[in-house]
Amino acid sequence: MIITEKKDRAKLLETVKDYKSFFLLGCSECATLCGTGGEPELKEMKELLEANGKTVTGTFVAKTGCQVLGTKVELKGHKEALEATDCIIVMSCGAGTQSAVEIFPQIAVYPANNSAFLGNMTRLQMFDERCSLCGDCILDQTGGICPVTACPKGILNGPCGGTNDGNCEISPDIKCAWVRIYERMGKLGKTVEFKEMVLEPKRWSASIKPRRVNAREEKK
Amino acid sequence: MSFRETLESGKFVVTAEVGPPKGTDIKQMTHDMELLKGKVDALNVTDNQSAVMRICSIAGCKLLVEHGIEPILQMTCRDRNRIGLQSDLLGAYVLGIKNVLCMTGDHVLAGDHKDAKPVYDLESVQLLKTVDGLNHGRDLAGNEMQGATDFYFGAVVTPEANPLEPQLAKFHKKIKAGAKFFQTQAIYDIEKFKGFMQVAREYPVKVLAGLVILKSVGMANFLNKNVPGIRVPQEFIDELKAAGKEKALETGMDIAARHIRQLKEENICDGVHIMAIGMEDKVPVIMQKAGLL
Ligand code: SF4
Ligand code: SF4
Repeated sequence: MIITEKKDRAKLLETVKDYKSFFLLGCSECATLCGTGGEPELKEMKELLEANGKTVTGTFVAKTGCQVLGTKVELKGHKEALEATDCIIVMSCGAGTQSAVEIFPQIAVYPANNSAFLGNMTRLQMFDERCSLCGDCILDQTGGICPVTACPKGILNGPCGGTNDGNCEISPDIKCAWVRIYERMGKLGKTVEFKEMVLEPKRWSASIKPRRVNAREEKK
Repeated sequence: MSFRETLESGKFVVTAEVGPPKGTDIKQMTHDMELLKGKVDALNVTDNQSAVMRICSIAGCKLLVEHGIEPILQMTCRDRNRIGLQSDLLGAYVLGIKNVLCMTGDHVLAGDHKDAKPVYDLESVQLLKTVDGLNHGRDLAGNEMQGATDFYFGAVVTPEANPLEPQLAKFHKKIKAGAKFFQTQAIYDIEKFKGFMQVAREYPVKVLAGLVILKSVGMANFLNKNVPGIRVPQEFIDELKAAGKEKALETGMDIAARHIRQLKEENICDGVHIMAIGMEDKVPVIMQKAGLL
């Protein structure tokens, strides 16, 4: 899921200080799980705005905020509240925010969150980054552990000389990705393969932005 | 004789290193260069060492060439993508720089520009392969070039890494990628180093043992605590302690000289790489103590 974190509230209030009436848009998926854009957070934001002399004309937690069409249809029921607002605060990720920008070309839209990374939830509201969406997956060659993401240098033929008792040189809180890969490939009986493989430089052309996929076309 | 010829001839070689300054005042660096000229076989020039921004290593190497000293260009993958790296390699070659040491490079978080974007488009193994390609007249994209390079290229290895097995696998990959020589991370435990050399001797590569001069008990403890892959055994810390503050540096130099003698006499490796870290003037003293001058 997309991991989001709340932006500094004082700064957010400063950014939107010229607007008077607000509509709050959350998301029932990632942002709800991250505790940044579910019902409780929308309520909290409503109270904060009201405490600062603003009006909140409506709030809504979209099913899937990054789904442009679906969100547009869902918001039809909030026509009045949206007409009365001069600013929408989106409490999901950067994609959700830009869905709102597309749906409401005439209304100012502001993000309440910072979008951080694609994360795995390890425990309730604890997230790890394991894939950085490079567009050319090499997990098949690295024992299923992604060095592009788990190694701060993205080394494809590791470990570097900085391995520190199995931890990464940049922090004792991070286990060296390449020691993990070595251990896992060992468990799979692939120690020799580990030693012999030399991965080629990454095909970064696969992640040139903005990317677009038309799965419909591909099905044909 | 060039560094390459000397090393390949089987003679015990000595390399040291100079770090370019932050800023344009190169007095100290020129002084260190002059001091080491004619004494060491080649001098490494560090590449924004510890991710601290300084004069680039190519300019440092070029200054060495002008002073008649053979440079080893340290090249890290932290600050340039594959286009920048290859272009700099070609540029270095036409400036008379013939030796390259390929490294991944310390992370920007270790340095003084922590908000910089780390590049790492390639890493050490891939950079070695790239140099090998340039030596064969083709670039990384497979294009034929007008005029190939003829670099003598090597890499680094950490014989005391923990865990050691993946580090040895990496050493193997570097050799597969074409590395001809290695300069090791600082070693102090010669018996343990012999174990590493047993592995290294299976390969047709030259190995220079890395030596860092101990100047105090504090420094030894600092290395043990903060530098991954460096382990100063307790016996040397005790030796420094016994010598007292005044004599600690002298003792540190004696230890280094002793190690050089043993490495050479017992034919354990092919040379040494002395990292003086700001005490370049001590390098000739140590060489003298070791009977090399
Ligand atoms: S290799 Fe790329 S796609 Fe695969 S897990 Fe890593 S970042 Fe994600
Ligand atoms: S210690 Fe391991 S994870 Fe950290 S930068 Fe080096 S290879 Fe990558």
